[in-house]
Amino acid sequence: MFKRRALVVAMAGAILLGNAGMVALAQDAAEATKGQDVKMMLLPKFLGILPFDQANQGAEEAAKELENPTAFDFVGPTAENSVAGQIEFMTNAPTGGYKVVMLSNNSGDQIVPAAEAAQAAGTKVVTWDSPIPDGKGESLFVAQVDFTETGQVMADMALSILGEEGGEFAILSASPDAANQNAWIAAMEEALKDPKYANLKMLEIVYGDDQSEKSYEQAQALIAKYPDMKLIMAPTSVGIVAAAKALQDEGLCEDVKVSGLGVPAEMLEYTMNGCAPEFALWSFVDLGYLTYYVSYMLATGAIKGEAGEKFVAGRMGEYEITQDPTRPDVEALRVLMGPFTVYNKDNVEAAAK
Amino acid sequence: MNDALMRRIRPEQFREVILLIVTIGLVLFFATQIDSYFAPRSINRLTMGLAITAVVAVGQVFVVLTRNIDLSVSSIVGMSAYIVGTMLTRDNAMHPLVAVLIALVIGIILGSVNGWLVAYGGVPSIIATLGTLALFRVVLVEFSGAKSVTTAELPNWLNDIPGFAVFSVAGYDLRLLVAIAVVVAILGQLTLKYLPFGRRLYAIGSNPDAARMAGLPAQRDIFLAFVICGALAGLAGFMFLVKFGNITVTAAQGLELQVVAAVVVGGVSTLGGTGSVLGAMLGVLLIEVLQQSLLRWAGVSEFVKDAILGLMILVAVTADSILLNRLRASWVRTRRKDKAKAMAMTEGAVQ
Repeated sequence: MFKRRALVVAMAGAILLGNAGMVALAQDAAEATKGQDVKMMLLPKFLGILPFDQANQGAEEAAKELENPTAFDFVGPTAENSVAGQIEFMTNAPTGGYKVVMLSNNSGDQIVPAAEAAQAAGTKVVTWDSPIPDGKGESLFVAQVDFTETGQVMADMALSILGEEGGEFAILSASPDAANQNAWIAAMEEALKDPKYANLKMLEIVYGDDQSEKSYEQAQALIAKYPDMKLIMAPTSVGIVAAAKALQDEGLCEDVKVSGLGVPAEMLEYTMNGCAPEFALWSFVDLGYLTYYVSYMLATGAIKGEAGEKFVAGRMGEYEITQDPTRPDVEALRVLMGPFTVYNKDNVEAAAK
Repeated sequence: MNDALMRRIRPEQFREVILLIVTIGLVLFFATQIDSYFAPRSINRLTMGLAITAVVAVGQVFVVLTRNIDLSVSSIVGMSAYIVGTMLTRDNAMHPLVAVLIALVIGIILGSVNGWLVAYGGVPSIIATLGTLALFRVVLVEFSGAKSVTTAELPNWLNDIPGFAVFSVAGYDLRLLVAIAVVVAILGQLTLKYLPFGRRLYAIGSNPDAARMAGLPAQRDIFLAFVICGALAGLAGFMFLVKFGNITVTAAQGLELQVVAAVVVGGVSTLGGTGSVLGAMLGVLLIEVLQQSLLRWAGVSEFVKDAILGLMILVAVTADSILLNRLRASWVRTRRKDKAKAMAMTEGAVQ
């Protein structure tokens, strides 16, 4: 019912808009119309860390390309106030005149009421980096990589560092509310069930709340608590450097390694000195760029946000909207970016520049 | 309690002893729960964990003694760590002492904002510093362009300091950061105990009106207390940068609660006029022992730990205040008894 009405509206819109709309209908992949005025908000989990700053750069690049006369706002709470702060930004977005909120969700499902209210008031909610777990209030999710693949990559890195004989490892996550972190850890636990990883034993998941000092202390505590631990897996850019620094300060880099998801520029030293022989990441600049394209096209009606739609996102090429296979139980759409890059001694220097 | 003992020692002096006993009790308990609790590595970690909180707590004592409070310290620490970190990133050749000096100056400037608001502006300190707590942080978030300082870009000498030991006995280090904290604590204790300025802070906190009537420069002294508190928070910011290397705009958030808790647990009254740096240091030690041990205690889940920490602080403070009240009552009784006896004797002599 809803879909049919949307289609009628879209067709009427296409006729009214003339050329722009016709392109969308006639061609397989939709293209963005430049120069339309859309007020947009880029809302990361919190301000102040490099990955989100890079996403902002990517979004700025896309905004320039699309010639949106209104500059988007890069706003966010501080790490400590992340959950409440995000909900507040979301709640106030419609009255602020925003047509799209680009959200890296750190509030779990707690943000659903605010997101649904925003949608009802005509503000689209496009998530990136971290989705709304049950998909409610979310137009679609721009996934950096496939979340199942993240688990697999983390399991593989653990295996490659610990070797055949395996060993004990612990996970240093961000906050217990972070949907992406939880999904990756769950995917890793799933991947570990494969007999190939039988010798890898997970000890505990601890949370550093993406605060440098708390992550550092948690890493120290893990070292003290588990003398036989061989690896700390930190799927967070703040946690991974904090853990690597803690190990280096303790002079334990020989015995305990760090791996996970990190930014090459921040990890360079630790990868070269063997503290963190391998870690992975995707390009946050690209993620910001793609997210901006999707959001702009959604808000201008170039795409409707339905499964099966294809569109062109500038320099990054063609993408398709699909049902989100990593959230099979809920109604949720996804655009998958990818790919993963695994960094080690050989390629980290080039990437850090 | 023994009357003879009561004649010699004031009840407040028991407080430090009680705290020490509680801390030793906790240490002994956790030693049975956690492996290699007294290993050099564990002890070094503990002392390194203490250093930053201790320096901030010394400054806080100065302020709390005057019947005020400074909640903005964590933002000052964060700002100093971030700004000095950024400057060192840009200019790797900067002299270490210049970096320390800049950290102190940042602290002094922010501290004088607080001091001015409270001492001369007449704003209640809890309101003023709650305001500046948020204000300093927001200024930092806004002007930082949301970038972070990373270890990789900092000069090498800075990354070497955390492991640097002034001296070392059988693996037990006195690390440079810890030594700085010890020196700050000793200077703080001496200032409060022997300098006229220190004694005036006690007088102002005990009875602000009386202090003013007596002609003490209360406004200027309160202002100075906040400046000292800010300066030490600035210094702690430099230590924070040295210890953690990676500084985001949220650095040190939440530290103010830990510091205030330590100072209060350490027997510095929020009503002003009582307490010492020594007590506050014992408070810092107690809370750090609790925190680090709970983190390491395999028997407890991540989420229960905060609750246990809160509960233990409550227990410590309650036990302390109950015991102290008892002691005070019995001290008063002893004194009365003595006085009555003396009166009876003089009366007897007159007759």
